[in-house]
Amino acid sequence: MSLLRSMMSGLRSLFRKEQVRQELDEELNGFLEMAAEEKMKNGTDPHDALRAVRLERGNLEVAKEAVRSAGWESFVETCWQDLRFGFRTLRKSPGFAAVAVLTLALGIGANTAIFSIVYAVLLKPLPFKDSHRLVFIAKKNASRGWDRNPISPAEILAWRNQSGAFEDIAAYTQRSCVLTGVGEAEEDPCEVISGNLFPLLGVAPSRGRTFSAEEDEAEGPRAAILSYGLWQRRFAADEKVIGAVIDIDGVSYTIVGVMPSNFSHLYASPYGVLPELWVSGIALSPTHVWNDYFGIGRLKPGVSLQQAEARTNTISVRIEPMNPDLKGWRAQLMTLRTNASGDTRPALFVLMGAVIFVLLIACANVANLLLARGARRANEFAVRNALGASEGRIVRQLLSESLVISIAGAVCGVLLAILGCKGLVALAPRFLVKSVPTLNAGAADFRVLVFTLVVVIATTLLFGLAPALQRARPDLIETLKETGRSSLQSPRNRRLRSALVVSEIALAMVLLIGAGLMVRTLAQLSHMNLGFNPTNVLTLRVPLSGERYKEPQARVQFWERVVSAVEALPTVESASVSRGLPINDWAGQLFTTSDEPNPPAGQVPAANYVVIGPDYFRVMQIALRRGRSYNDHDTNASARVVIVNEELVRLYWPGRDPLAKRLQVGGQGPWLTVVGVAGNVLSQGPDAGFHPEIYIPYQQFPWLLGGPKHLVVRTSGTVKPESLVPAVMQEIRQIDKDQPVADIAPMEQIALEPVAQQRMVMALLVSFASLALILSALGIYSVLSYSIAQRTREIGLRMALGAQRGNVLRLVVGGGAGLALLGITIGLAAALALTRLMTGLLFGVHPIDPITFGVVTTVLAVTSILACYVPARRATRVDPMVALRFE
Amino acid sequence: MADKPSDLVQGTLDMLILKTLALESMHGYGIAVRLEQMSKGVFRPNAGSLFIAIQRLLRGGLIKGEWKSSENNRRAKYYLLTDLGRKKLNSEKREWGRQVAAIARILEAS
Repeated sequence: MSLLRSMMSGLRSLFRKEQVRQELDEELNGFLEMAAEEKMKNGTDPHDALRAVRLERGNLEVAKEAVRSAGWESFVETCWQDLRFGFRTLRKSPGFAAVAVLTLALGIGANTAIFSIVYAVLLKPLPFKDSHRLVFIAKKNASRGWDRNPISPAEILAWRNQSGAFEDIAAYTQRSCVLTGVGEAEEDPCEVISGNLFPLLGVAPSRGRTFSAEEDEAEGPRAAILSYGLWQRRFAADEKVIGAVIDIDGVSYTIVGVMPSNFSHLYASPYGVLPELWVSGIALSPTHVWNDYFGIGRLKPGVSLQQAEARTNTISVRIEPMNPDLKGWRAQLMTLRTNASGDTRPALFVLMGAVIFVLLIACANVANLLLARGARRANEFAVRNALGASEGRIVRQLLSESLVISIAGAVCGVLLAILGCKGLVALAPRFLVKSVPTLNAGAADFRVLVFTLVVVIATTLLFGLAPALQRARPDLIETLKETGRSSLQSPRNRRLRSALVVSEIALAMVLLIGAGLMVRTLAQLSHMNLGFNPTNVLTLRVPLSGERYKEPQARVQFWERVVSAVEALPTVESASVSRGLPINDWAGQLFTTSDEPNPPAGQVPAANYVVIGPDYFRVMQIALRRGRSYNDHDTNASARVVIVNEELVRLYWPGRDPLAKRLQVGGQGPWLTVVGVAGNVLSQGPDAGFHPEIYIPYQQFPWLLGGPKHLVVRTSGTVKPESLVPAVMQEIRQIDKDQPVADIAPMEQIALEPVAQQRMVMALLVSFASLALILSALGIYSVLSYSIAQRTREIGLRMALGAQRGNVLRLVVGGGAGLALLGITIGLAAALALTRLMTGLLFGVHPIDPITFGVVTTVLAVTSILACYVPARRATRVDPMVALRFE
Repeated sequence: MADKPSDLVQGTLDMLILKTLALESMHGYGIAVRLEQMSKGVFRPNAGSLFIAIQRLLRGGLIKGEWKSSENNRRAKYYLLTDLGRKKLNSEKREWGRQVAAIARILEAS
């Protein structure tokens, strides 16, 4: 109540200043006159009466001032005055203002941009109801080192019904849907989901409904829910679409709903593709143990992630004996947020640390500028102090000036951050852009702006407080005595500025080493021998669906015609087909060898299963180590053959001749005879090592997993693979115009994807480190230039007394180099301690890499010496006569 | 006026102003005169501290001010106690009595 009243009354004084002032005047004048009249009754003459009253009651002007400044509003008012004064002072020195504002803008902008990503990726609550109780459910097999594996319906049902940890569990699996019937055939990523998924997430279609329990059944009616994008694009946002029937993979589905435009896909792994539609018919059965699904669970209130995991483990142990395939598998639960942010956490922490360093350097630089400026304004403050301004008042005024600088810096910085976020989107790994749909919108989030505000205040105090405190306590007598002369820098001032430069160099050192380690990592990654040659290879995918391609033979014929047509094109060196490409596709299959046909359950060997055409090794330039490749004689009619890679031989036939050994894939089908051994391929990215692989000829075994999907084409010489796209598309259309063609990409681009995150971190760290290098070089430069300007007389005197230019040069450069050396030493020590935190991002480089440390030290040392040399040269050109007359 | 006016005990001016307003509303000068009369010239608050205290009481909602014309036809701002101010005065009086008694006991103990 009284706080409110005080605020109202304070606001009234602020906004109706004139009226409040008049009232106070009138009241106090009345007081004076009444008191005087009282005296005059006793016969005192008016003049003496007034004087007596003043003596007794104090000076009324002072009283007015005291009443006015007693309220809180007077504080606000003087702050506002200070800000305006600060703004005017800065306008008078535009050069200083521009440099300071720009420096801070870079620091604040970098922080805002990176924080907006950190916030969106790691902190922002997901747009689902009570998202903290939602968990992503996969499974792991600790003894074999497998994790994030899909789960089976048997497990989903057992965990849901028996663990007591979940309110409910929904399931989904990703696949692709070929839409026909309305317009041209198109293939879209889609998800088969259980009807309870959307209710469990607390979201609902904007039109229509979700799937019913009946539609979840294997033999139930088929229904589909459209994404907003698909509804807009393919159905022209037609409201009558609900109830319409579309053909998906040749089967009729009824459209029952449309999801809202802002529906988020972040319940699923960010690495997948965004589904365009959802289809019913998940048919979860307790007897199904194939691992096709991921689960989304809602924990019961009060159940923690660890408790839920412990309870599901109990259930897993219980159902294991009945299903040997589930042996060793345990549920792997993670919060939806952890799942959605992928493995970006360490990278983002490193980047956040880096921008904080940049901001600290920027603050140190601006503090340095302020100190130099403060030294020039020493007289101004000494005079103010002498006239009665208190220390606190002067500190407040100086901080207000600093605040003006940092607010201007923040405004420019947020603009920079918005531009920067746009650039980041171009740099960022694809999955990151997908998991942060707002990245494009830049730093507009409310909480990001709050963060920026906090940064501004912290910055102001960081760079403004030390100079302000120092200015507020000037040595009055000394400063005033020196009026008219350029005052000598006080030792305190010089020490502070030196400390700032040293810390700038140390911070820059750490950033440079971080950037250097990332550059080395990328160099290592790009020099890795992938085992295949991605240059000049074009890849694309044709899903082949519908009635026409139901028979494996029809698919084989389609691909045979496509390959021979494409091979006939000019500039094509070779062409082939495959199911699965290195890096972007992985199809783990269990297999058994003839040497050990009955391995114990849970220890069945697994390999990446790739279906290929005869020229696949030639197109991809994968080496053939032993035996032969496929040829056109390996047909459906001839003996079943297989090619394995060196890693598989090393693991399962160590020291034995693999040729003529036999193996069986997926626990069914014919035994295959090994006819060749292919070289290893880094099929899961350059930092993921080798894995066993099995290559099956598509003309012999096209039914498991549906045969080949990808066309791979190697162009000859210097022909860009992209230039081939129209010709290849035309050939495919001539063979079957109804088949959609998807995922057209040069193999080189696919090969770069696994290192996209490292590339982004490297690019950002390199730019932050360059910024740090420039800022700290500027720091040394400005400190030295300033101290030389201060010491002109001293240098002139030295030269007049016979000092040579070399001596002066050594004197100045030596001073600067000492600071640089100290900074570099501290930076090295800090880097030794900090680079360990980057271990997760590095590849093939030790966190304490002697080459990086050496090169960075040299670069920073040379830069510092150069930054010293320029002002030092100026010092040597001091004319002793001019210098001595200078005062 | 034999003695010099004394300084008030810290924080008591507010209470004394409330007391002077307990019977009737008064303007600033009236409050000053009344304080002086009642204390027999011991307290003579200067204008600065008086008006700061008045502002504080206004903001605390303990008194209200309104412009009226005074006895000799001069416009002046009259202050009167609010209900809150009356309650406050009573509680302050009690508290003051307790403290004075306590201090007296300490001083008289030998």
